[in-house]
Amino acid sequence: MASAERVAELSIQADTAEVRRASQWLEAAALQQRVPAEQIARLDLCLNEALANTLAHGGPSARLSEVLLHFRVHQESGVHEAAVTVSDAGIAFDPLAYQPGPRADSLEEIEPGGLGLIMMREAADDLGYLRSEGRNLLTVTVRWDEAAESRPQA
Amino acid sequence: MIVAFNLREHPDSMANDAATILYEDNDDNLRTISLAGRLDIQGTEAIGNKFAILSASDKHRIVVDLTALDFLASIGIRSLVSNAKAQQQRGGRLVLFVGDNAAVAKVLKTTGIDTVIPMFADAAEARKAALA
Repeated sequence: MASAERVAELSIQADTAEVRRASQWLEAAALQQRVPAEQIARLDLCLNEALANTLAHGGPSARLSEVLLHFRVHQESGVHEAAVTVSDAGIAFDPLAYQPGPRADSLEEIEPGGLGLIMMREAADDLGYLRSEGRNLLTVTVRWDEAAESRPQA
Repeated sequence: MIVAFNLREHPDSMANDAATILYEDNDDNLRTISLAGRLDIQGTEAIGNKFAILSASDKHRIVVDLTALDFLASIGIRSLVSNAKAQQQRGGRLVLFVGDNAAVAKVLKTTGIDTVIPMFADAAEARKAALA
């Protein structure tokens, strides 16, 4: 049997000082919905990297507009799902289309870019991207089963 | 739905995890730099300059202790890489000690950083590698 979706929303300025506030909001919203600590950590990592990308690469249009955050949880047939959507007005960028270069073998070779996207792909069960009405919408989803939910939370 | 967040109800909240940096020098010309808290954008900006200054020692080899890190973002990783590169370029060495911090170790492995900056779960091995 499916449960009704529970949602929370927040709008922030595209500013580095707001990134931690976004994490705090996510943590509070997720704890209220009894999302396990491990899943909150996965979402938090992705949220931080998504916002870092917006700030670093979104351009003036990203910084001049609010960033909208949407959190939801859903449960069906024993599988729980939590998702965060980050919506910004920056330059169109589809992180799913990014192809990382070959992994560096040495410190000299290592390039600073792309780490965040690699981390997001590892942490999330699903990444979804949409461009709509001049905004990027990136959705990060994590899933866990009821056995994971019953383990003690941090 | 407006979510109120009372910090007093959540003593372990990430809101309390300000990034901190401490260091200790020993007789072997080894410097241990200990990073704690959240190395997100705000945390990395807060400790970045001091981390660079402490890592830029000509006299010391460096062990960066990450055992007390609660969170490591890509910006924090770039700070580790930048300081490791700088040490290498002046003929020194910087290694990472993660102890049993599985979350941080996983992030460093996912990004391949553990193959370009030596990473250790054992403190003695980290010190030995730094001084080698």
